[in-house]
Amino acid sequence: MHKTTFQSYVVFVLTFITVLATGCQQQSSPYFGTVKPRHGPKEIWINNSSEPEWLDPGRCSDSTGGEIIWNTFEGLVQAHPATLKPLPAIATHWDISDDGRVYRFYLRPSFWSDGHPLTADDFVFALRRLVDPQTGSKYASNGFIFKKGLAISRGEAAVNSLGVRALDSRTLEIELVDPLPYFLNFLSFYSFMPIPQHLFQNLQERGIDQDLWTRPEHVVCNGAFQMTDWQFRQHMTFEKNMKYWDADSVKLDRVRVAMVESSTTAMNMYVAGEFDWPGGSTSLPAEFMDHLESYKDFHRHPYLGVYFYWINTTKPPLDDPLVRRALSLAIDRDSLVKHVTRGGQIGSSDLVPDGLAGYEGLYLPVYDPAEARRLLAEAGYPTGQDLPEVTLSFNTSEGHKQVAEAIQAMWQQELGITVELENQEWKVFLANAEQMNFQISRMGWIGDYADPYTFLELLTSDCGNNHSNWSSKTYDALLEQANQHNDPEERLKILRKAEAFALAEQPLIPLYVYTRTQLIKPYVQGIWGNHQDRHPWKYMWIDESFEPGEENIESVNTPRKAIQVHK
Amino acid sequence: MIRLLLRRLLELVPTVLVIVVASFALVRLAPGSPFSSEKEIPAEIRQKLEAKYGFDKPLPEQFVRYLGNLLKGDLGLSTKYPQRTVNEIIANGFPVSLTLAAVALLWSLLVGITAGIIGAIRQNTVWDYTAMTAALVGISVPSFVLGPLLVLVVSLRLHMLPPAGWGDWHHVILPGLTLGTIYAGSIARLMRGGMLDVVRSDFIRTARAKGVAEWTIVWRHMFPTAILPVVSYLGPAIASMLTGSVVVEKIFNVPGIGPYFVDAAFNRDYFLVMGIVLLYAFFLLLLNLVVDVLYGFLDPRVDVS
Repeated sequence: MHKTTFQSYVVFVLTFITVLATGCQQQSSPYFGTVKPRHGPKEIWINNSSEPEWLDPGRCSDSTGGEIIWNTFEGLVQAHPATLKPLPAIATHWDISDDGRVYRFYLRPSFWSDGHPLTADDFVFALRRLVDPQTGSKYASNGFIFKKGLAISRGEAAVNSLGVRALDSRTLEIELVDPLPYFLNFLSFYSFMPIPQHLFQNLQERGIDQDLWTRPEHVVCNGAFQMTDWQFRQHMTFEKNMKYWDADSVKLDRVRVAMVESSTTAMNMYVAGEFDWPGGSTSLPAEFMDHLESYKDFHRHPYLGVYFYWINTTKPPLDDPLVRRALSLAIDRDSLVKHVTRGGQIGSSDLVPDGLAGYEGLYLPVYDPAEARRLLAEAGYPTGQDLPEVTLSFNTSEGHKQVAEAIQAMWQQELGITVELENQEWKVFLANAEQMNFQISRMGWIGDYADPYTFLELLTSDCGNNHSNWSSKTYDALLEQANQHNDPEERLKILRKAEAFALAEQPLIPLYVYTRTQLIKPYVQGIWGNHQDRHPWKYMWIDESFEPGEENIESVNTPRKAIQVHK
Repeated sequence: MIRLLLRRLLELVPTVLVIVVASFALVRLAPGSPFSSEKEIPAEIRQKLEAKYGFDKPLPEQFVRYLGNLLKGDLGLSTKYPQRTVNEIIANGFPVSLTLAAVALLWSLLVGITAGIIGAIRQNTVWDYTAMTAALVGISVPSFVLGPLLVLVVSLRLHMLPPAGWGDWHHVILPGLTLGTIYAGSIARLMRGGMLDVVRSDFIRTARAKGVAEWTIVWRHMFPTAILPVVSYLGPAIASMLTGSVVVEKIFNVPGIGPYFVDAAFNRDYFLVMGIVLLYAFFLLLLNLVVDVLYGFLDPRVDVS
């Protein structure tokens, strides 16, 4: 090529790149993406991250299915959209027996979306079906709180012996095994929604597989919205359920729910205006956090989840509580959440998040390297180098890997311990956890209900999710004692004592409390940040009067216009 | 020809059978179960779930049952999407992957062949260098870089096309370009090579001596011979576009079957993994056969029988 030709070629390429780059210059805007809805005022476009496994309340066990169920079905109580406190829903009021074990719910007159009356029998049918082994529900254990629930699931008792009875068509009696103070809060969980018994009979008569009852061509629901279209792995469409008892309060006519798995793709779609809200279950990419912080449509709130490391307490050298405590104290959690996870998580050495249902956190030290070295020396490893090899396992994920590498470096730096990292594919990781084939293993736990017990139960001797091999009769007795207690404050004190007792033995190392990060278009109202990430669509609405100049939305916790919450 | 086709089709049967046995064995050897989860599932419930899918039976019995169902065209139930059969999932996703592959193929042929021809007939000029630099960039830039770049420029800055999704014609353009570009680069280089091989042949020189117009020489005489390497490349390329679209389908949230290839294996969704492996294997074998037959038509020197 002649020199001049080559030079003009290079100039052409550079000019092209410059033009492209100039075109890519981001305009300065306080919002991350478009600020005008691309649809009518009675519609919202959201993301639900992935195709749900089940939309059947009795079988669902994932958050994506839960999101749909919560908005298409309604149980005896509903969670307040901001505080999550139980509010009347299908039940208008209830009585509780003196011993706290028997609840009698009085149902309002209401209808299924096909116009069939909803009765107490629909709840009995749903809850029996939940624990019936024939259903094969992965969340059957949620029904073990009901009398005979566990025995029925084991095939040791008849399904109709469950402690859930319809006294008449609008009175339901529920008998619990223990007087659980968190029962009403838990009762808004999707596993406890009613199921249209008449639809099952109808499908059976027509020779249609009853497992397909949640398909849009069959489904009958009692919540604020009903599904009208379901394009597998693409999107679902929901229309306002005009038969819903509180239909007058529902402001949206249509909700379009996409299933976009990649958080980056979902974020791009938000920027382009294809989502008004990328959804509660879609996490934002960690590498964008610093950039997103400055936008007014970026929000963050604490989430009822704890990230921690299980320790297999039977394998030396981790069978020594001193070593386990030393490992915990050598982790600089504040640095971990600031520089590694970067999502605003809260570094914590406690298992139960502070403030949960009035619980006072232990506030154990989040970082104390001097004490960690002292404990390790006391355990017989003054320099750390003579500590037998320790392996830390985590399931394949860039985030878990970064956390594990940071902790590996901290243990090396503070204690002189060499830790090997083992990256395992998800199902291999789960199989190893089940078989206790690990030394230290990553885990995250999301609370199913707002009560410390949802976390503390993990360490009980007979809990199938306890992957520490640690068990203590004292601890079990404390939890049992707490559950029998009728005085909520006294109960929380006992639970706190139990947590302190367990963490002194350090069968697990809590690292941080989760947060949820959200992007919500400024014209969307009626979404509150709450620690269970529940956002009922029934309260959402599009503010047509919004103009980009209005910049008075400070947080999802303070919506501009109050909504009417029925009590 | 028909006899040849029948013979080659019959040869597919033992190959497919070996693939069924190997994939069944491999997927079952992998540790873990479709029903293992972070939250413990009560043992009795787990047994019921395993019984529903027949996983409680001995492996040989499961294999015979699977083979029997396969002969009836039943690929089984998905464990990850329990309300869907594998047949239904493939019927939903395969046409999508096929559409995406078709757009990618069209794009790669259009750009690749044009760039290859320009490069060859304007050899060692700025046209040639530009075409071959673009081809090199196309081959070198992976789809996980090109895809997001296209989204950034075309969707988020110029607002010309949607950044992701599926449904309308404009959803297919960006994923199609992303998937097709890497193949366009290869095709351009193959086409240029093929053209340069043939440009110095005696029959081209003769045609030029006879005063045949340049474009007639290119299209009538050079093109049919020069395209042969591209044709033999197209068989595996199309198969690869169909099977290798995992990343592109993830980036653009295309509901094809690409992501299942990985996700179903991660989820130990046994029947879905098997179904997709079989589908891919069948298409790979079929496309190789098509290329072999096509080669015979294009090159009279090749005797396909």
